[in-house]
Amino acid sequence: MMRPALFSLCLTLPLATPAFAQDLDMLTPADLLPLAQEEGTVTVYSFTSRIGRVEAAFEAAYPGIDMIGFDLSSTEMIARLRSEASAGIANADVIYVSDSPVVLTELLDAGLIAPYVPPRVADLLPDSAKSPVLQQRLSTKVLMYNEESYPDGAPVDNLWDLTQPAWNGRVMMVDPLQRGDYLDLMTEIVLRADEMAVAYEAAFGEEITLDDGITDAGRQFIVDLFANDVVLFGSTDDVNVAIGATGQDAAPIGFTTYSDRRDNADEGWALQVANEVMPSNGIVFPALLALNPNGPNPAAARLAVDFLMGDDTETGGAGFAPFYVAGDWATRTDIAPHPDAIPLDDFNGWRIDPQQTATIRADVADLILQVQ
Amino acid sequence: MPIRPFRPLQLPAGLGLNLIVLLVLVLLVAAPLLTILMQTLAPDRIGAWRDVLASPLSPNLFWRPAANTMILGFGVATGCVLIGGLLAWLVVMTDMPFRRLIGFLATLPFMIPSFATALAWGTVFRNGRVGGGGGLLEGMGIAVPDALAWGMVPTMLVLIAHYYALAFTVIAAALATVNGDLVEAAQMTGANRRRVLFGIVLPVVMPAIIAGGSLCFAAAVSNFAAPALLGLPVRMQTLSTRLFGMIEIGQVERGYVLAILLIAISAVFLALGNRLLAGRRSFATISGKGGRARRFALGTARLPLTALALLICVLTTIVPILLLIAASLAPMASALFSNWTLQFWIGDADPAFARGQAGILNNPQLLRALSLTMGLGAIVALIANVIGILIAVALTRHRLRGISEAVSQLSFLPMLLPGIAFGAAYIALYGAPIGPLPALYGTTTLLALALTAAMLPFAVQTGRATVAQISGDIDEAARLTGAGFLRRIGAITLPLASRGLIASLLLCFVNVVSDLAIVVLLYTPTTPLFSVLSYRYASDGFHQFANAVTLVILAISTLAAGLAALLRGRNRPWLSS
Repeated sequence: MMRPALFSLCLTLPLATPAFAQDLDMLTPADLLPLAQEEGTVTVYSFTSRIGRVEAAFEAAYPGIDMIGFDLSSTEMIARLRSEASAGIANADVIYVSDSPVVLTELLDAGLIAPYVPPRVADLLPDSAKSPVLQQRLSTKVLMYNEESYPDGAPVDNLWDLTQPAWNGRVMMVDPLQRGDYLDLMTEIVLRADEMAVAYEAAFGEEITLDDGITDAGRQFIVDLFANDVVLFGSTDDVNVAIGATGQDAAPIGFTTYSDRRDNADEGWALQVANEVMPSNGIVFPALLALNPNGPNPAAARLAVDFLMGDDTETGGAGFAPFYVAGDWATRTDIAPHPDAIPLDDFNGWRIDPQQTATIRADVADLILQVQ
Repeated sequence: MPIRPFRPLQLPAGLGLNLIVLLVLVLLVAAPLLTILMQTLAPDRIGAWRDVLASPLSPNLFWRPAANTMILGFGVATGCVLIGGLLAWLVVMTDMPFRRLIGFLATLPFMIPSFATALAWGTVFRNGRVGGGGGLLEGMGIAVPDALAWGMVPTMLVLIAHYYALAFTVIAAALATVNGDLVEAAQMTGANRRRVLFGIVLPVVMPAIIAGGSLCFAAAVSNFAAPALLGLPVRMQTLSTRLFGMIEIGQVERGYVLAILLIAISAVFLALGNRLLAGRRSFATISGKGGRARRFALGTARLPLTALALLICVLTTIVPILLLIAASLAPMASALFSNWTLQFWIGDADPAFARGQAGILNNPQLLRALSLTMGLGAIVALIANVIGILIAVALTRHRLRGISEAVSQLSFLPMLLPGIAFGAAYIALYGAPIGPLPALYGTTTLLALALTAAMLPFAVQTGRATVAQISGDIDEAARLTGAGFLRRIGAITLPLASRGLIASLLLCFVNVVSDLAIVVLLYTPTTPLFSVLSYRYASDGFHQFANAVTLVILAISTLAAGLAALLRGRNRPWLSS
């Protein structure tokens, strides 16, 4: 049901009808530009402060359109969008957000965000990056180790090693019940239970036996990992220090973000990814770009999304520059992989399917709650 | 049977005042709380109550975190009252040297973010459990047991070190108003020091002790940073880490249910405190006259007590501040004391450094944020304290069965509500136009309203402690001579409560300046605030910049504290010797 405020907003904004929105979806950036300049501003809710640098680049590229960036964590953004919608307020035009499993269920299904794929880049994206919502780039939560402490390469080659006495109390990660990314990682391990069973046999030469009440190898891994005294933290930075700090004899190992390796020199870390791990070293997950279906600046919103997807140069140009970092990957197939990182095709991480993740994520959280 | 002359309907005295403050509290506190409660009662969400309270998940989801939370709350409240009370007594009532310095230092810990105090603990006591190289003690070859490095003990100690300043501030303000005549009379009739302390001073400042203890309790049970940093590595969860986590992983209903239960449990315990406060009538000691008490001579205990007080202040104030300064200068968080540089403060944007971030003093938003944050802090502190005094007067002078209990509880709630839920409720409630009232969405007014509500616990608690001490006789005398309510507030209550009021203004100001959780949901880019700037830096891993902004906030808070001390200074015989 439409709230009065929302209703009057639609009356005063005849442009915001679905038919018109569909027309806008077809327009090229050149066609959008004059409409967007007439609107004059575009508001972006962003989960990263890098939007500040996009702002400057966008305003240089499209004079006359003021980009207003809001930094909010994904959780805060979801809370803010929901309460704004219930008050009939449409403040944001563009939503740039992580936490895809929650976004799809809480925002897309509720009609609080609308998908948009700029026609200019549609053919340059794999289908998985276009539906149900546009994916701009991919990030990670994967197994990392200390390359100073282990100069011959990763000290483990199978996830199941982490459940062995040698790693008791020496596996670090952020509490999966404090941060969604890490819950997604645990969930993916359950979704890939068959692969986990195969990896178990590879590690121990025998078929896995499940505890009472445990239904698959993925869940068994979570139970065993927690029983092996996995050490939990509140933030990824703390995990990076624990694993990566130089000067450690036998550094612990753990799950963190591949692209944080670029801070090794600045922070005094020796983080390196463990890529050769059975069945996988962790997850690769998307950052999403979507529109507010009732946003006040529909043309400028589309122009901004188009801009954030990068231009046609090899590295994506000014719009993508803040996101062109080693360890993150553009979803666009024509943007060259960063020279300092493993290309996505050679990377061993599981690519999550946010809709699949959403189906059992709460169950996995309940399991962790019980074994923690 | 005597026939009474007909009189117009006689309303209980103070009914109007009570109804007004109740209305304010309903709008500012009850309505948002109800919005949150309703969200957990929707048919598809009500299952969250069973999950939390009666399911196989309950022990880890609720009961154990709740037990940890209560242990923490009581431990911290007790520790804070003991330390804060001791320091307040030493500073205000004894002949200890360095009183001025210690009195100033003891108000500071509260202005230092609790994560900095937790960080300080970690720097010293961190052990091998978390890799990354140990802390100072392990560096010296001293093994640190897990129990001292992680979990309940360090969390409790860090929170005491952080919040005792609350108890100190409230209790010192109350002690300063103890009527010297009483003490003198007791001394002249031969009462010894112990007798005077336990027979006169303690009973008289009891309202302040209860108020300070309650504030510390509420602050401790809702603190997130310390248990998250020090508790998680040994899997100690509190209700605040649990509810933050539940909201963070998208299980919002469970998070809100936990928040409501936290409020309910705390309300029970705080009600006990309120009962103590309301049940006694013998606190009134400020009678508008009477000299200050003669200072207790500490005698042989003077030196050891001075050393103890200085040690507490240095450990809880200077050490965390030095650590923050180091953390804003050191390029590597893992080596806080090497390669210091001022780049994070005054550097130009250089692509080779911190991904091209300029130093904070070169951030054009900083100045704007400075004036805006301070303006907002001042206004909110003022409004919250006006409301706070009115509520305190209503609760102390005009108690009405039913209404007073509701007022008392409502004024304490905001402290226990998670900021994100509070902010969201404010948008949903007041974002859109209501009747003739304009939409407040995106305005500084909405931000100020929410922050005012959030500051009420401080304003009301300190207000109550002070007003409870003011003798009702003066007020009564003024009333008989025909002075109106506002006149009496302005001419009697405010001047006599000024000490407590200044302390409370300061607490509110500091809180507003450093608050984030509520602000982040309500701010707009046209209203950049300090805490948002700091968050922006921290969220992208630029901790040096975030720490630098924190230090600026701290510097402003310290200046405000100094200013408050100067304001009081004109009339504070208790500090001159």
